[in-house]
Amino acid sequence: MKTDDLIRTLAADTLRPRPLMATLLLGLIPALAIALAAVWLTLGFRADIGSALVSPVSAVRIILTGILGIAAARLALVLARPEGVQAARLWPLAVVAVAALGLLLWAYVTTPAEARQMATIGKTITTCLVTIPLLSILPVASVLYTLRQGATTAPARAGFVAGLAGSGLAAAIYALHCTEDSPLFYVTWYGLAIMGITLVSTLIGARLLRW
Amino acid sequence: MADQIDAWGQLLAAANAGDARAYARFLQTVTPVLRGIVRAKAGGLGVAGCEDVLQEVLLAVHLKRHTWEPGGPVRPWLYAITRYKVVDAFRARGRKIDLPIEDFAEVLAADPGPDPTEAADMAKMIGMLDGRAADIVRRIGLEGATVAETGQALTMSEGAVRVALHRALKTLAILRERHVK
Repeated sequence: MKTDDLIRTLAADTLRPRPLMATLLLGLIPALAIALAAVWLTLGFRADIGSALVSPVSAVRIILTGILGIAAARLALVLARPEGVQAARLWPLAVVAVAALGLLLWAYVTTPAEARQMATIGKTITTCLVTIPLLSILPVASVLYTLRQGATTAPARAGFVAGLAGSGLAAAIYALHCTEDSPLFYVTWYGLAIMGITLVSTLIGARLLRW
Repeated sequence: MADQIDAWGQLLAAANAGDARAYARFLQTVTPVLRGIVRAKAGGLGVAGCEDVLQEVLLAVHLKRHTWEPGGPVRPWLYAITRYKVVDAFRARGRKIDLPIEDFAEVLAADPGPDPTEAADMAKMIGMLDGRAADIVRRIGLEGATVAETGQALTMSEGAVRVALHRALKTLAILRERHVK
């Protein structure tokens, strides 16, 4: 086939793919709604949800994971563009990580030595480490799908960001149920769950996001 | 240079808004530039090989045209796609390196040879499409039929032809990916 013939064929195809932002929102919003409904219907929101949302100690991990998720989702939209690698700045994610570690350190210092172990182990490690990954599946999948519709030139990095976006938002939703307010607990275990999901998403991205 | 970038952006913006003529002009305008880049980067693949790569680039530009940010510069976007596809082409062809074309420059100059814009890979891929999709692509691409004419000839609605053409082009890209692996 001659290139001129190819150009004529391409120009005849007038069906345009959806903008990436629309693809992302159309997937992510229902995914998060399902995650929210799942937490509400199976685990239930914490009994003191009203006051927990306005108390800094309880709200900070919702804010932290939420910011992580939103910042990563925005980054995913940048990385979805072929030239996005140059424009993508990873430092907002690092800021969230540093803030989380700062909280962990602060909690370590302010928690009496004999209470540290109990605060870290908490009572709900298993629920946390099972639920956050489950809640992450749809949100991560929707971000990966958006990236697949895009044209990333950094598949592994895009997969990494998709993992953080989906699991960050999933963790924020899980935090509406979870009553473990000590950073010793949530930075450790939420962090572990998020890192595990992100690792898997990075590996998937490296394979799936080539085009 | 700045004018040229603006012109590309205007054409592509019009194209993305549904102006098929502007889109054809855009592709025709960038093709020589991209051909030059591909030949500079992938000269070792030979003239026809470069044309194969160029067509892959154009197909990718087409299928990913919604990833251009309206108002943003076209060039970095276009070059990022080109670079990715050239790298991909080398990976796909493994370590097999064609004879350097320079040695044959005089022979080529003396002999008009095949039309330099003739490439083999895409025809092969079209042959792998299902019958109707291949028919549509051939009618529009090789015979220059319009979507309406193609619809009449195949007793399909124009909308159905458009959808089939769109799917066929996506399938071509997927086939291409599988073929090279």
